[in-house]
Amino acid sequence: MAEVILASECDVVNEVICAPAEVTDLFEFTDPWFTVGSFQFTRTSFLIFLAAFIVIALLYFGLRRGRLVPKKFELVMESAVGFVRDGIGRDVIGPEGTKYVPYLLALFLFILVGNLFEITPLINFPVFSRMALPLFLSLVTYVIFVILGFKKNGFRYVTATVWPKAVPIGLRWLVGLIELVSIFLLRPLTLAVRLFANMVAGHLMLTLLLGSGVIFLAAAPDIGLKASIGVFWFALGLFMFLLELLVAVLQAYIFTLLSAIYIESSIHLEH
Amino acid sequence: MEGDITALAPALALIGYGLGAVGPGIGIGIVAGNAITAMARQPEMQGTIRTTMFLGIALTEALALIGFVLFFIASAG
Repeated sequence: MAEVILASECDVVNEVICAPAEVTDLFEFTDPWFTVGSFQFTRTSFLIFLAAFIVIALLYFGLRRGRLVPKKFELVMESAVGFVRDGIGRDVIGPEGTKYVPYLLALFLFILVGNLFEITPLINFPVFSRMALPLFLSLVTYVIFVILGFKKNGFRYVTATVWPKAVPIGLRWLVGLIELVSIFLLRPLTLAVRLFANMVAGHLMLTLLLGSGVIFLAAAPDIGLKASIGVFWFALGLFMFLLELLVAVLQAYIFTLLSAIYIESSIHLEH
Repeated sequence: MEGDITALAPALALIGYGLGAVGPGIGIGIVAGNAITAMARQPEMQGTIRTTMFLGIALTEALALIGFVLFFIASAG
């Protein structure tokens, strides 16, 4: 999306970094490819479907044979499944966690692919920097853990939250209130906003640094020595590129891990 | 000098978010630091400690994330 920055008029003589007039321009594709009813199919929608398709293809071609001695690619997919099953599912939820592994695996791979789009050349857009997608995923987790809580514990799920017996009676109402707000209101919100905010910050930083670097270097004949700022921005942008790789994997892991933790806390109310 | 206070809204939102990020920053530092100490003392408890650490970070980070949302709301309005 550097073209937004490149298209905006940048005063390279007086400024030290180029920013677009509207930050939201970096995250919106205003011209839809085609329209179905009131639904506009933009580049973002295409990338969402592409991410889902890549995940399905990875899982299908990686795991369809189940060889005793897996090939290289199958080994990678099997270790990914093993990581989610053992490292997240069984470690956090316990032995019955195997039941939730398909959901967690789908969540992990979808978020991972969607995040890695941020640093994939020619795509360069993290689909999770649009709030609708992380919010939808976090609402799915929310519905799952609330229904599980009622299914496993009955109405005690709410009473044990609002009136925790382990807390002294004087503080019980306050702790209950905080717990109620944090579980039923803040959990889905923060789960979504964490992923969204990280992706927005990363995409913004990459476009500003790399875009400014290109603009300043291209303007070298006009502004002379000042173009060396561009080298600095470009180097910083390349460093951020590596950092964003780490952030993309980490955020996918944290989203999945927190989903597992929330599911676990609905199954076992004691802690 | 006449001035319109609403023109300052984006700048004030920025300062507010900066202040709001201080507390969670310190808090996450404490959580992660203590988790490292605990892992160094008892490496066999690593899995449990990591899980608890991420839960603690998630709870601490919530304030910074609310600040981030409020920054967008305040600077747009």
